[in-house]
Order: sequence, then structure tokens, then C-alpha cells
Amino acid sequence: MTAFIVKRLGFAAVTLFAVLTIVFFIVRVLPGDPAMVILGDQASEASLAALRVRLGLDVPLYQQYFEFLGGVLVGDWGVSMVSGRPVIDEILNVLPATLELTIASLILGAAVGIPVGVWSAVRRNKIPDYLARVASLLGLSFPAFVSAVLLLMFFSIQLRWFPVISSSRDGGIVEHLRNLALPAINLGLIMAAYITRVARSAMLEVLNQDYVRTARAKGLAFAIIIRRHCLRNAMIPVVTVVGLYLGILIGNSVLTEIVFNRPGLGKLIVGALNQRDYTMLQGMMVIYTLIVVLVNLLTDLTYGLIDPRIKYS
Amino acid sequence: MSVQSQTARPSRGAYFRIAVLNGLAGVIRAFNANKTSWFGLGVFAAVCLLALLAPVIAPYDPIDQNILFRLKPPDAAHWFGTDYYGRDTLSRIIWGARISLTIGLMAIGSAMLIGTLIGLVAGYFGGRTDIIVMQIMDVLLAFPSLILGLIVVAMLGPSVTNLVIAISLTAIPPFARIARAPTISVKNREFIEAGHALGYSHSRLMFGHILPNIAPEVLVMGSLWLATAIRVEASLAFIGLGVNPPTPTWGGMIREGFENILDSFWLALFPSLAILIVVFSLNLLGDGLRDAIDPRLKGEQ
Repeated sequence: MTAFIVKRLGFAAVTLFAVLTIVFFIVRVLPGDPAMVILGDQASEASLAALRVRLGLDVPLYQQYFEFLGGVLVGDWGVSMVSGRPVIDEILNVLPATLELTIASLILGAAVGIPVGVWSAVRRNKIPDYLARVASLLGLSFPAFVSAVLLLMFFSIQLRWFPVISSSRDGGIVEHLRNLALPAINLGLIMAAYITRVARSAMLEVLNQDYVRTARAKGLAFAIIIRRHCLRNAMIPVVTVVGLYLGILIGNSVLTEIVFNRPGLGKLIVGALNQRDYTMLQGMMVIYTLIVVLVNLLTDLTYGLIDPRIKYS
Repeated sequence: MSVQSQTARPSRGAYFRIAVLNGLAGVIRAFNANKTSWFGLGVFAAVCLLALLAPVIAPYDPIDQNILFRLKPPDAAHWFGTDYYGRDTLSRIIWGARISLTIGLMAIGSAMLIGTLIGLVAGYFGGRTDIIVMQIMDVLLAFPSLILGLIVVAMLGPSVTNLVIAISLTAIPPFARIARAPTISVKNREFIEAGHALGYSHSRLMFGHILPNIAPEVLVMGSLWLATAIRVEASLAFIGLGVNPPTPTWGGMIREGFENILDSFWLALFPSLAILIVVFSLNLLGDGLRDAIDPRLKGEQ
């Protein structure tokens, strides 16, 4: 187990290093001089040069690269070109809001998706199955901002159940949850659509196994077979997919945060894009990569919890 | 004797034709196995037709402003209402379909081409090539595609070409994965071994013999990824990284409509439905086909 974790950590480090390298070169190689972008094309050559020195763009590329890598390691992610505050502070400031939203939507997605998927598989080719399949396919056809806009139209504007703008941070726990509800429902239902589909197909595969037939032949109640024998075995593909769809979840959280005007990484990255805040963008890509690498690691470790037969070697 | 066998043997072109026809037959069988695919295809074809005939069908000029008819709710003259500049929403949706479809088809077309090539080469040669190439693909795959697209478009500037580049970049790794798996299983079959024995070149085996066999899988995933590409394009436009206004794009229309959502809900509603219909029809199409060609599900229908 320890050897496995060390190995996975090593792999995670390599991935992180590779992505950091790509990030660095994407930001540098793509056309557009950051100094020119910040000061405008009317700026004098002297002020451009001065800004390049301030941004550390005057030294050779390889030196910039090593400074960047070293900085990432010690938590010095540079200073925002717009606000002048350290990038890492700005990111850590909004990270909890995004994590809260994604975790809430993951829980919701699993709470809806797994039972519906299992039910759909058990009732294969019956009406519940068709309904669940169409609903889940529809769910994953929604661009996150479209569903967010529709939810907002219906629940906040039409029914007035939820606040239109969920940005107020003070107020009690109830207010906090009310602000979280619609964004989490939006992300959670899309996640549920993905989870339903995997849970269904994983369940179908398990239901065809010999040991299920044996269990039925010896007269075990069907509900117990599902709960005790099938569910656990069907969970591995579900966990894999949740890990794989993290990228989609992150993309969707950006859109959701914009529609609901919620503070978080999404609003931060869009602000950085609009203002061409290159150091901030670089930092955002680092944090996204860190999240992805960490979640993949967690996913791998979860397999062992679900299925003790999996040996980490 | 030798002359006889020369004439009896089909030409190289004929082999290729047979292989392509086999691939197509596979796709059609898949269609018939799952009727919802036909429905998805029908809806998608209708949308393509609307987009092609936009100049004929659209009742108004999509960028023609008419201040007197600002923010009109849907009525007989403007079925889907008008926007802040008095432009006809229906006409803008019809014209916007062109942008969505063009970007989607071009992005997925090129991603399919490049990704399949990468997967084919990695799977065919195996060994170290495979490990290195797929490791790079996995790293790219791990990164959230919307964020990658966001950054590429923001840096290159929003134009049709740049959006195509950004979206296809995010779709190359999945196609490489999709192409690689069947390549590995096909390359171990006897007919490929026979090809080796006959001294066929690697490229002839890859493109003439393996490619036609893996084509159905790749094409089916193409329709699912086209749905994703259209969704991503709309998302980027919604964030403000779409093709520049006044060109109508669905995502851009929702963005503008969102600013007037409190009093003019139709502005955001109708383009939302347009995106939903197209993406859903493509998902129906691809999903049905995938079930049909999935070897694990064979014989269960």
C-alpha cells in the first residue's frame, strides 16, 4: 500500500511537472507581448522595457522557466498584474467557495445518479429504464450555463424561491445554504446524468455475472443481492468516471459561478482573461492541475476501499 | 497459372473499397439496431438544412437593427421576439446555427483526423512509442477542456479559426484513445499478420487494413464529440470568447439575453432551446450507435 502511494505520488509529480511546463510555454509562446497588452500599443518602448523588467520577462526564457518552477514549489506564484496582490492569496481566497460548490454537487450527483442508475439497470428495457435513459441523456446535453440560466429564470425570477444573485457572504447558515442551493442543483443534476449512465451500465454488467445467478438460484431475495452483491462491484466504474469527469465538473463550475454571480475560481479566471492577467492565468492553471492530479490520486486510493481484492503494487 | 492468379486477385483499390463498405455497413447496422439514432440523425439533418438555407428561410436580416422594435416579446411578426437592438431573434438563431455547426464540424473533423492518426500510430507500433504518446495524451486529457479552450482562445483572439483550433486541441486526446484501443486488437488478427508476411508496408497496413476496421468506432464517437464541441463553443461565447459581435452565435445571444433576463426572458430562452435540441439530437445519435457497436453489449439486443 505504501509503495503504491509512493508510486502514484511519483506519477502525480511527473504529471504536474509536465503540465507546468506546458502551461509555461503556452503562456510564453502564444502571440501577444504581455507588456504591450497591459500598456496598450501606444506605449513607449522605454515603459514597455521597464514593465518587462518588472514582470521578469527580460531574462532568457530558460531562466524564466526555472524561476517559475521554483516559485510554484515554494508557493510563490507571482503577483497579479492587475490587483498587485500575490496570486496564491487571491486563489486561496475564493477556493473554498468553489470547493464547497463542487463537493455539494458531487454529493447531490451521487445521491441522485446512483439509485436512478441502479433502478434503471434492474428494470432494464422497462418504462423506468427508458425514462432514466432519456432524462440522463438530456441532462448531459445541457451546457451548464443554459441549465443555470433556465433554473435562475424559473426558481429565482418566476417563483422567487432563491436569491437572483448569490454573492452575499454574510448572513446566517440558512442564507448561505440558500445561496448554494441553485448552483449546486445545477451542477449536481448534470453530474447525476453522467453518474446515472455509468451506474446503469456497470450494474448491467454485474447483473450478468455468474455469482448473481447463483445467488438467485439459491433463493436469496433480489433486493439483498442488489445491495450486498452487486452495488459494491458496480461502484468501481462509477468512481473512475467521477474522477474522469472532474474536468467537465470544473468547466461547468466556471459557467455556473458566472451565471449565479458566485465568487470562486470561475469568476477569477474569467476576470483574469478579460484583463489579460497572465500571472493570474498561470496560477489558475497550476491550481487546476493540482486539483486534477490530487483527485486522480484519491480516485485510485478509493478503489482499494471499495474492493479489498485490489492490491496496490 | 501465375497470370491467372494475377487477374483473379482484386486490385489494391478494390480491397480498400471493400474495407470502406464494410465499415459503412457496420455503421448502418448500428443505426438499425437502435432506432433513436435515426431520430437523432433526422433532427440534426433538419438543423443542418435550416443552417444551409439561412438566407432563404430567415425572415429578417440577423444583424439589421431596428430601434423602434427593441425588446419586443414574441408575436406574429417576430416569432421569437426581438433583442435589445431590435434584431429578430428567430433570424439570429437560424444564422447562428451556421457558426455553431461550422466550428463544431471543423474542430471535430480535424481532431478526428489528428487524434485517429496519433492513436493508430501509437497502437500499431506499441512499445515505447505507445507509452510516450499516450502519456502525453493522458496529461492533456487530465486538464479541464473548457479551461484549456478558454486560455487558448483568450490568447489567440476570438475568431472562427482560433475557436476551431482551441476546441480541436481539447478533442484530440480522446480521439487518440478511441482509435488506439481497437487498433491494438485489430493488429493482432491473422489478416494483418498475413499482410506482414506479404511484405506490406506499415502505412499500407495501417491505413488500408486497420483504419477501415476501426472507422465505425471513431465515427460514432465523432457524433458524441460534435455535441461536446457545440456545447463548448456556446460556453466560450457565453463567457465572451465567441466569434465577435454582431455575428450571431447562440452562446453570445444567451449572454446578451442574460443581461435582460428580468424583463425579456425570451432572449435567453430560445437560443438555449436551440443549443439543447442540437446537442441532444447528436447525443441521441451517437449514444444509440455506440450501444450498437459496443462489443460488450453484442448479442444482448
